Amino acid sequence: MSAQNTPGNIIDVTDLVKRFGDRTVLDGMTLGIETGKITVVMGGSGGGKSTLLRNLIGLLTPTSGDIVMDGVSLVGADEAKMNQIRRKFGMLFQGSALFNSMSVGDNVALPLREHTDLSDQIIKIIVKVKLELVGLTGFEDFMPYEISGGMKKRVALARAIALDPKIVFYDEPGAGLDPITASMIDQLILDLSQKLKITSVVVTHEMKSAFHIADKIIVLHKGKVIQTGTSEEIQNSKNPYVKQFISGEPDGAIPLKQTSEEYLKGLLET
Amino acid sequence: MKDFLGGVGRTSFFVLAGTSRLAGLSAEVMKAILAAIFRRGSIRREALFHQMVLAGVDSIGIIALVSAAVGAVLALQAAYQLKDFGAVMYTGALVSVSVTRELGPLVAAVVIAGRIGARFAAELGTMKVQEEIDALTTMGLNPIAFLVVPRCLALMIMLPCLTIVTDVVAMVGGYLVGTLSVGINPYLYVMNSIEAMVLKDLYSGFIKSIIFSAIIALVSCHQGLSVEGGAQGVGKATTEAVVISIVLIIVVDCIATAVIYYAFS
Repeated sequence: MSAQNTPGNIIDVTDLVKRFGDRTVLDGMTLGIETGKITVVMGGSGGGKSTLLRNLIGLLTPTSGDIVMDGVSLVGADEAKMNQIRRKFGMLFQGSALFNSMSVGDNVALPLREHTDLSDQIIKIIVKVKLELVGLTGFEDFMPYEISGGMKKRVALARAIALDPKIVFYDEPGAGLDPITASMIDQLILDLSQKLKITSVVVTHEMKSAFHIADKIIVLHKGKVIQTGTSEEIQNSKNPYVKQFISGEPDGAIPLKQTSEEYLKGLLET
Repeated sequence: MKDFLGGVGRTSFFVLAGTSRLAGLSAEVMKAILAAIFRRGSIRREALFHQMVLAGVDSIGIIALVSAAVGAVLALQAAYQLKDFGAVMYTGALVSVSVTRELGPLVAAVVIAGRIGARFAAELGTMKVQEEIDALTTMGLNPIAFLVVPRCLALMIMLPCLTIVTDVVAMVGGYLVGTLSVGINPYLYVMNSIEAMVLKDLYSGFIKSIIFSAIIALVSCHQGLSVEGGAQGVGKATTEAVVISIVLIIVVDCIATAVIYYAFS
């Protein structure tokens, strides 16, 4: 099960294909995530961002292709092996996914209690430190429904980094938040990456935050990587799809309207 | 005709697929419970007790109310029918035997399917929709060991206890109606009740209630974990959890009663 990563990369995805029935969502995707950097995965709805992410964290198994994370291949890993791999990363879900029946402190403490033999006192200190890192000192005893959406995101982030993972995945970190809170989360991502040397993989379609935080941007379209580069390279991209995506034009390389022949064809097909 | 056959095929496919998934869940839960017997501390005790209180202690009130009513109705009905044979004094016997053998486990299971089955399905379904189940998995925690096992175990411990409560309260309800309203001599009522019962009545009811508890817990948790989509999915799963549980309980009860009647009498 041990495999080699490309030097400098912590995740290598090779020729990843994921099909649901007849529908191909990931169509031979190849990409690398550099160690210690912030990589933003961008793309329109249905481009395969979420599916890629769910494959990376082991919630879906690829139809074919390979994912190597920190020297271990995810493909064909059994449940015990997968759980070992899962200790290497944390995940911030779009809706925070805090456990509503547990207090903020217990939410952050959960991975520590379940995966380590640390005493309650030490866990309490770690929880305090993690909450401090996300700027929520003293919120241990609040319940998730008593705090705002932005705070929930930050608690979820504290929970994701509870076990000091090497990688943190962010699924639409700014979704559903006001611009100020969203940029605060962006700042947190930058801070964590710089202070704790955590590799970050951010899936988003919010241009402004992507260009602000990214060391590298990967643009997906129809299950394939169409461009990889720094913020500037992507902003000055010549690729018509990327250009349309950045400018947010409704019509362009990705057509809004079909031609009359295509429309007729689509109508008659069914 | 083609549509009809297609419908039959589709339905049987869904039923079979559902049954096999349910069997898979049962196997995993069984494995976790067995593992816990050999390896202490692998079941979260706090969660287990919490679920036991929710499923058991908090249900005593409604269980008592329903069973008192069932006992009273049963006594009235029995007295009405037995009057024709001049055997009204056997009302107590009829009530006690039918409650311990049949109605006690059944009534307790149906009430709990509505109260706790719906709760399990809605709880787990909401957690599924809000990605909490995915979050558990990505944290390396098995959702079945973490969420399903404490719920199943709690219900399998508490439903038999609630069945005993049902038996006792239903008999008390029958006694009150039989003595105060029908006018049977209290001494005779109690004597007849006790004489008619044998130990087998009690433990056959007890075994049934353990089977029913497993049905409710597994069906409801399975429905909750297979929720797709949002609020609509949770609503559908909750309804189905209760309906499937109650239908299965009655069917299994029928089979169990037949087995006990023919094999052990």
